[in-house]
Amino acid sequence: MSNYTSLDDIKVKEKVTIIKIHTKEKLLHKLLDMGFVSGASIEILRKAPLGDPLELRIQGYTLFLRRSEARLIEVQKL
Amino acid sequence: MKKLKVALSGQPNCGKSTIFNLLSGIDQHIANYPGVTVDKKTGFFSYEKYQIEMIDLPGTYSFSSYSLEEKIAKEVIIKENPNLIVNVLDASNIKRNLYLTFQLLEMGIPIIVVFNMMDVAKRRGIQIDTQKISKILACPIVEASASKGIGAKGIMKAVVNTIKKQKTYEDFKINYEELEPYIKDIQKEIKNSQINLNKRWMAIKALENDAFIIKYLEKDYPLIKKSLKKYSFSFNEKYDKDIVSFLASIRYDCANLIYHKAVKEENQGKETITDKIDKIVLNRFLALPILFAIMFLIYEISIVYGYKLTDYTWPLLAAIKNFVIDIMPKADFTQVPMMTDFAIWMINSANALANYIPIFFILFALIAIMEDVGYMPRMAFILDRVFKKFGLHGQSTLPLVLGGAMVGGCAVPGVMATKGIADDRARMATILTVPYMNCLAKVPFYTLLLGAFFKANMALMMFYISTITIFIAMIIAKILTSTVLKTRETAPFVMELPPYHLPTFKGVIIRAFQRVWIYIYKVITIVLAVAIILFAMLQVPGLDSKSKIKYEEQSHKALASFNKKAKKSTYYKQVDTKIEVSELLNYYDSYKSKRMATSSKSAALAIDKTFKEENKTYYKFIKPKKDKEARKINKAIRKLSKERKRVLRKMKNEKIENSLLGMLGRVIEPISKYAGFDWRINVAFLSSFAARESAVATLGSIYENNRNDKLRAEENMAQNSGYTPLHATAIIIFMILTPPCIATMIVVKMQTNSYLWMLFATFFPITLGIVLSSLVFTLGSTYLWSGLEAMSYYYMFIVALALIIGLFPNKIINWKGGFKNI
Repeated sequence: MSNYTSLDDIKVKEKVTIIKIHTKEKLLHKLLDMGFVSGASIEILRKAPLGDPLELRIQGYTLFLRRSEARLIEVQKL
Repeated sequence: MKKLKVALSGQPNCGKSTIFNLLSGIDQHIANYPGVTVDKKTGFFSYEKYQIEMIDLPGTYSFSSYSLEEKIAKEVIIKENPNLIVNVLDASNIKRNLYLTFQLLEMGIPIIVVFNMMDVAKRRGIQIDTQKISKILACPIVEASASKGIGAKGIMKAVVNTIKKQKTYEDFKINYEELEPYIKDIQKEIKNSQINLNKRWMAIKALENDAFIIKYLEKDYPLIKKSLKKYSFSFNEKYDKDIVSFLASIRYDCANLIYHKAVKEENQGKETITDKIDKIVLNRFLALPILFAIMFLIYEISIVYGYKLTDYTWPLLAAIKNFVIDIMPKADFTQVPMMTDFAIWMINSANALANYIPIFFILFALIAIMEDVGYMPRMAFILDRVFKKFGLHGQSTLPLVLGGAMVGGCAVPGVMATKGIADDRARMATILTVPYMNCLAKVPFYTLLLGAFFKANMALMMFYISTITIFIAMIIAKILTSTVLKTRETAPFVMELPPYHLPTFKGVIIRAFQRVWIYIYKVITIVLAVAIILFAMLQVPGLDSKSKIKYEEQSHKALASFNKKAKKSTYYKQVDTKIEVSELLNYYDSYKSKRMATSSKSAALAIDKTFKEENKTYYKFIKPKKDKEARKINKAIRKLSKERKRVLRKMKNEKIENSLLGMLGRVIEPISKYAGFDWRINVAFLSSFAARESAVATLGSIYENNRNDKLRAEENMAQNSGYTPLHATAIIIFMILTPPCIATMIVVKMQTNSYLWMLFATFFPITLGIVLSSLVFTLGSTYLWSGLEAMSYYYMFIVALALIIGLFPNKIINWKGGFKNI
């Protein structure tokens, strides 16, 4: 288990801000490009019907990512 | 005329292709970038004194080098050296779109920013002060609503105006604060570089660890990597940040700045229509039922109703066939000229396929609607969990759908669409499983068999066929990813859910037509070529002299019997030579087939009239009414016609049996008989290797009557083949698995870059197919299952197997590092 609060720990409809992304290279680049920069706020909209992936709003648009990736994003509740 | 080169850039879902179509109209050219399968679209238009060539770059979120699309986009800019870049952005999603704009601005090439979808933004209460943004960014901005046809003139004008003012253009610079000294250091290091690119931009990209740019720089500065490492380390030490995250943060900060200065959102936090729809469509309990309902609806509409539609289009095709037969040399009793035989063969091959065009058109239109509406990524969202279980990706959805996961598709575009999957293992698995989907050309084959053997349960059987493929694909994907593909790299899955859009009627129809055209085109080229080869293989060596004599005797006997009967009539004189009899016979058959192809009374009367005009005497014999003497002739000619058909069919069957293809089919019969396949089915499968369309064409031609009549191939097959529905089930099971056509094999080779994988993709399914269909056929014969029962049991078995495999936990290694040797 990680010793930080990750995006995966957040309940649906809660809003958080990004502290840090604990990954590198390809995944880091992808997440940054999609707007996962530190300080950005995220709202979890819903979980997929089968529990994974997560749909969320960031930078004013909607996207989804798997929980395994959400676990790498350190967040802080607002 | 001055020539200009413009690159069109933008993020996915920004409406870039609509802008592209708006600007270039039909004056466009689509090709592939060399070596890869990403489309390279070039369009042309002229404005004032300028002739403008526009290159459509692949849609990318960023301008780094982490995806193929990004690499290509960068390569095009470097190699083609455009005069300016037109950057399209989605006005209703400004922040993320501006992130790309800032990266483009840094390249040192003048930019025009197009705010597309202004209508959508307005509807959502987003007010954008584009003039203000234009001032802040110091670049021209054009407003557009491409889906409504607004904005083309403005863009053209801006392009030309910008070119005129080009000399006053000053490089755009973002202040990267703490990073600035590092950028300057690298700029100094590479100041003598011969590469025709902005030095500052290259320096920034190098710091960003952009593999593409670093490779360029390494040619002149072999030590660049070392100093980059040093810089990166020192920046990390000093500020406790990595350069990549730092750069992205600043760019997003810039985007936020513009957003706050020039954009007002009235309805912020309010539910949009998309939110409302997603509440239902992505609802935890409703999402899956809705997804399956949509798929089932697509079967119903395209297959069931589309098939009904063919009832109306078939007479048209029959009329074409009759027309061709009319202009061909006539048969002399059982001596049919080879030319006529060939023409009938070709027209039958073409008709068997053309018959399904209505189905394809409806299907393609429905898929185009789904794409335009934005349901595809939602499908990935709903199903990713399942795909992940089997080692695939939510992104595998599109290739699988194109390949035919829903009813039918084509493996060629399906395999090509796998290029976009970032995860190498999932990509390989998708490439190898897409060919298991229902290829469109298989659909006619199934419809032929279902029409012949499962008329009452057509919808259920079709549902089995089209849903079982995905379970089979999943099982195979799982097997492959946990064995041969185990060591391949995996990658993140982050995907945008764009807002819903109403599809435009024009867009949908154009796409449906384009795809149907591809189908027709493929039919014309490959299938007809194959049909010619097959015709030859079926003609050689032909009947031996012994059989020839046998059939000659039979026809003489039939003629003699006619003669005997006709003699009793007073009209005998008019039909007492062989030529006359043959003429009358052709006249009779032609009349009959034409009458059967018509349904309306007026059309029937018209046919009566033309035949009466053509030959009054013969007309009397085919329609004797109360003329007793003519009726005698009528009875005799009817009998003779029947006899001729029987002899012709026998001759044809014997000819096929003895032909090269027939021999080949017989050679493999000892193996295929366990699956219930006789040589005819083998012949059909053999011909299907070139293109699956050929299978139905061959069966269609074998079971199509030689003369022109209204009986369809499936009706003929049900009556004359001697197969049971169980045979049909075994055939279907094999066909579901059979290898892809040659075109698909070539694409698989291209995408996997290996002949070995291509061979694997060919022979693995054949083996599996023969084993499974033999198993089902043997079990079915032993336990006396009906065809439907056998298919149901098989379906349940496959679904259960897929579920069991899916429940095995998928262990992905998600970490890296540690000691190397433990």
